[in-house]
Amino acid sequence: MNALATHLTNARQANENCLCFHCGQAITTKHVQEKIHGKLQSFCCTGCSAATLWINDAGLSDYYTLRTEQAPQADASPVDLSAWDHPETLTQHSRFREGFDDIIISVQGMHCAACAWLIDRALSKHKGVSEVSVNAVTGRLHLRWLQATTPLSQLIYCLQRLGYRAFLTQGSQLEKSRAQEKKTLLLRIGLAALVAMQTMMFAEALYLDTSNEMSVWTRDAFRWLCFVTATPVVFYSGMPFIRGMLRELKQKTFGMDVLAASSILLAYFGSFYQTLVGGQHVWYDAAVMFVLFLLVARFLEYQTRQVAYEQSDALARAQPYLAQVFRAGQQIAIPVAELKVGDTLCINPGETVSADGILLNELASFDESLLTGEARPVTKNRGDFILAGSIGSLHSARLQVTQIGRDTQLSQLLYRVELAQLKKSGVLHYAERIARYFVVGILLIAALIYGFWFLKGSQHAFEIALAVMVVSCPCALALALPAAFASAQSALAKAGVLSFSNDSLVKLAKVDTFIFDKTGTLTQGKITRTADRYFVEDQAHALAIACALERNSLHPLASAFPEPSSLQATDVRLIPGKGICGFIDGKEYRIGSAGFSANTIDDGRLWLGDGEQALASFSLNDNARPDAKITISALQKTGLSVHLLSGDAAITVDSFAQEVGILHSAARQNPDQKQAYVNALQSKGHSIAMIGDGINDALVLASADVSIAMGSGAAIAQRSADMIICGEKLNRVLAARAVAVKTQKIIRQNLTWALLYNLISIPVTAMGFIHPGFAALGMVTSSLLVSINALRLRKVSLSP
Amino acid sequence: MNILLVLIPVSLIFLLIAIGIFVWALRSSQFENLESAALDILATENQARVETNTNEEKIDAG
Repeated sequence: MNALATHLTNARQANENCLCFHCGQAITTKHVQEKIHGKLQSFCCTGCSAATLWINDAGLSDYYTLRTEQAPQADASPVDLSAWDHPETLTQHSRFREGFDDIIISVQGMHCAACAWLIDRALSKHKGVSEVSVNAVTGRLHLRWLQATTPLSQLIYCLQRLGYRAFLTQGSQLEKSRAQEKKTLLLRIGLAALVAMQTMMFAEALYLDTSNEMSVWTRDAFRWLCFVTATPVVFYSGMPFIRGMLRELKQKTFGMDVLAASSILLAYFGSFYQTLVGGQHVWYDAAVMFVLFLLVARFLEYQTRQVAYEQSDALARAQPYLAQVFRAGQQIAIPVAELKVGDTLCINPGETVSADGILLNELASFDESLLTGEARPVTKNRGDFILAGSIGSLHSARLQVTQIGRDTQLSQLLYRVELAQLKKSGVLHYAERIARYFVVGILLIAALIYGFWFLKGSQHAFEIALAVMVVSCPCALALALPAAFASAQSALAKAGVLSFSNDSLVKLAKVDTFIFDKTGTLTQGKITRTADRYFVEDQAHALAIACALERNSLHPLASAFPEPSSLQATDVRLIPGKGICGFIDGKEYRIGSAGFSANTIDDGRLWLGDGEQALASFSLNDNARPDAKITISALQKTGLSVHLLSGDAAITVDSFAQEVGILHSAARQNPDQKQAYVNALQSKGHSIAMIGDGINDALVLASADVSIAMGSGAAIAQRSADMIICGEKLNRVLAARAVAVKTQKIIRQNLTWALLYNLISIPVTAMGFIHPGFAALGMVTSSLLVSINALRLRKVSLSP
Repeated sequence: MNILLVLIPVSLIFLLIAIGIFVWALRSSQFENLESAALDILATENQARVETNTNEEKIDAG
C-alpha cells in the first residue's frame, strides 16, 4: 500500500477517534495540531508532534505504515543529558575499538519491529555514527560512533525526542559476552549444518554401494573424506557437549552431556578405527547428525531463555548519573560512588534518588514506582524518609543522605530476595535424575554386550556394542525435554508470558493453590470515580471545578478526574492529609475530606465545596481488572483453590474478595505475614503459585513454589519471579497454566516413547540383527518423532 | 570414476566458500537484527514501485 495513503487513513482514523497521530493515546485536554502531508493532524502533546515532524523531515514517514504497534508517547521537555558525555560514564560503559566508540544501551519503549527500523534509520543519519544495530525483542541498541564528532548525549536526545528512553546496561562486559556467546553458538550450528551435509553426501556414496562393487581403494578414499569433514563438526561444533561431559565427569555425575558426547565420540572414533583396519562400516554421518540436532535444540532453548532475561532485566535500567550535592555552600556534581553519608543531595524532577535520605524541604513528591509498583507520585513531608530508587517529581528537593550503596533499603531488600531465591533453587531437575540412571544403564549394557560377543569369539563384538550405543543414543531422550521446553517457551512468549526457568514450568503444572495480591494485580491500580453526587444544579460546572483543581496536581486522586476543564485554577495548594484548595474566578474552592471541603461529617467519600457549602461528593474506587473474575472462576473450575492476600483494611478486602469470587482472603498483611501465610499452606502439603506486583510482594514471591509477577509492577517483584505476565492481561495466568500442563503431558509422552523405543531396539540390536547404519536411521526417526510431538505445544489453545 | 578426482575437490572448495560466506555474515552482525531487514524491503518497495511506474509510462509513451 502506498505509504502516504496509509498515513492519511491512519490520520483520519486518529482524528475520528480523537487519538494522537503519533502515540495513539486519547487526546484529553488541550491538543496540538500540525500540518502533516498537507493535512491537519492532532497530537496529544508537543512531544508527539515534534516527533512526527522530525520523522517526516528525515524522510522516515514509512514508519507509520510499517508499525504494528503504537509509538511510545514522545517527551519534548528538555532534560540534562550531559551525564552521558561525562568521561566517567564513557570509560565505564563504552569501549574504544577499531577507531570508534562502542556501547550497548538498553532502550525502553520499543514495541514492534518498526521501532527498531526507525531507531536504526534515525541514528544512522547522524555524522560520526558508523554502526547501529537494534534488537526490538531484547530492547538492546548496539552503537558504534565517534564521540568527538557527535557526542553520545546528542544521540540519546534523538532517541528521547522519538519517545524512547535510553538506559545504561548494568554490565557492559556481560552484555558483550552474551552477544559473543550467541555468535559462537550460531557459528557452531552453521558449520555443523554445512559440513554435516557434505559428510552425508560422501557417506551416501558408501551406503549406495549395496552389492560391494566399489573398489577397496575408492571405499577407503570416501571413508577418509568423511573423516576429514566430520572432524571439525565433532571437535568444534560438538565442543559444548564434550566440555559438558568432562565437567560432569569431574563432578562425578552422569548427565545428558555424558551420553551425548560419549555417543558422538564413540561413533567418531569407532568409525576411525574401522577406517584404519578396513572394517565393515563407518558411522561418521551418525556422529555429525547427532551434533547438528543437539545444537539446534540447544540453540532454541538458549534463545528463548535470553529473550526472557533481557526483556525483563528491569533493574539493569540505570541512567548515567551524577549526584548534585551541596558542599562548602556550593552545588557541585559528583559521581554517585563518591557520595557520602551526611551530604546534602539535590534531586531535580525526573532524577533518581541515589541514596536513602531524609527530606529537608517542607513538601515534595516522589515517584516510587520502582519500589512499590505504584505509578502515582507520593507526597512526602519534611523529615520523611526517602528511599533510593524513587524518582523526584515536579519540584526539586533536598535530602540529607543517611545510607549509601549496599546499606540502602533497596539493596537490603534485594539481598533478602536473593537469599530466598537461593533456597528454592536447590531442587534437582527430575529429568537429570532419569538421565543419570539411563546413561549409566546404557554404558553398562553396551559393555556387557561387547563382553558377551567377545567371549563368543564374534568378530562383530565392537560393531554390535556400538550399534547399541547408537540405537539407544540419547537423541530422543536428550531432545525429549529441551524440544518440549523450547516449544513451551515460544508458546508462552506468544501468550505474553515470560518464563525464566524450565523448572517453573514443571512446577506450575503441579500447583494446586493460587494466591493473588490485590492492588495492582487483581485491580488495575488506577483510581476511578463512581457514584458522583451533586448538590448544585449546574453539575457540569461543579465537575469542571473539581477537574481544574485536580489537574496537574500531585494529589494521588488526580487520575480519577481525567475530564478536560474549561476553568483555570490559580494559587492551587496541597494541604497534606486534607486535600487541595485553589481559586477559580476569584472564589476559593476545596476538594478533599468532608470536614475540610464542606464542613460535614467524614464518610470516606471525596467532597468538593468552598469550605462551608458542599457542591458535590464522589466515591473513589480501585477497579478490579476486567478479566479478574473470569480468570478466578476459570481457575476454581479446574479444581484449584484461590486465595487473596492484601495489605488493605479488612472491609475493602472482604468486599473485593466477594466481588471477584475468592473464598479465602487475608487482610492487613505485611510482607513477613504474607510469607508466613504461604509457608503455612506449604507445610500442609500444598504447592503454591503466587501472583503479585509490588516490592512488598518480592519476599513472598520468592518463597512460593512458582511466582508470577505482573509486567507493569515493580522491578524487584519481577526480579524475584519465575514468570512475568506482560501487559495488563490477568487471564494470561490461565494460558501459562495450560501450557505448563500440556508441557508436562508432552514430556511424559516423549519420555515414554524414548524409553519404549530403547526397550525394543536395544535387545534386537544386541542380538546382532541391526546394522549400525540402520541403528542410526532408527535413532534419527525416533528423535524426529519426539521433536514433532514437542511442536504440538505451540498449538495450545490460549484463549481462556 | 576418475571424474571423482575432480568433483570431490570442487565440492570441498564450494564447502569452504560457503563456510567463508557464513562466517563473514555472522561477523558483520547480519544475524543481530532480523526484523528491520524484513521491513526495509517494504519501505523501499514504495520508491521502487514509483520508479517502475515511471518506466512503464515511458515505455507507453515510447
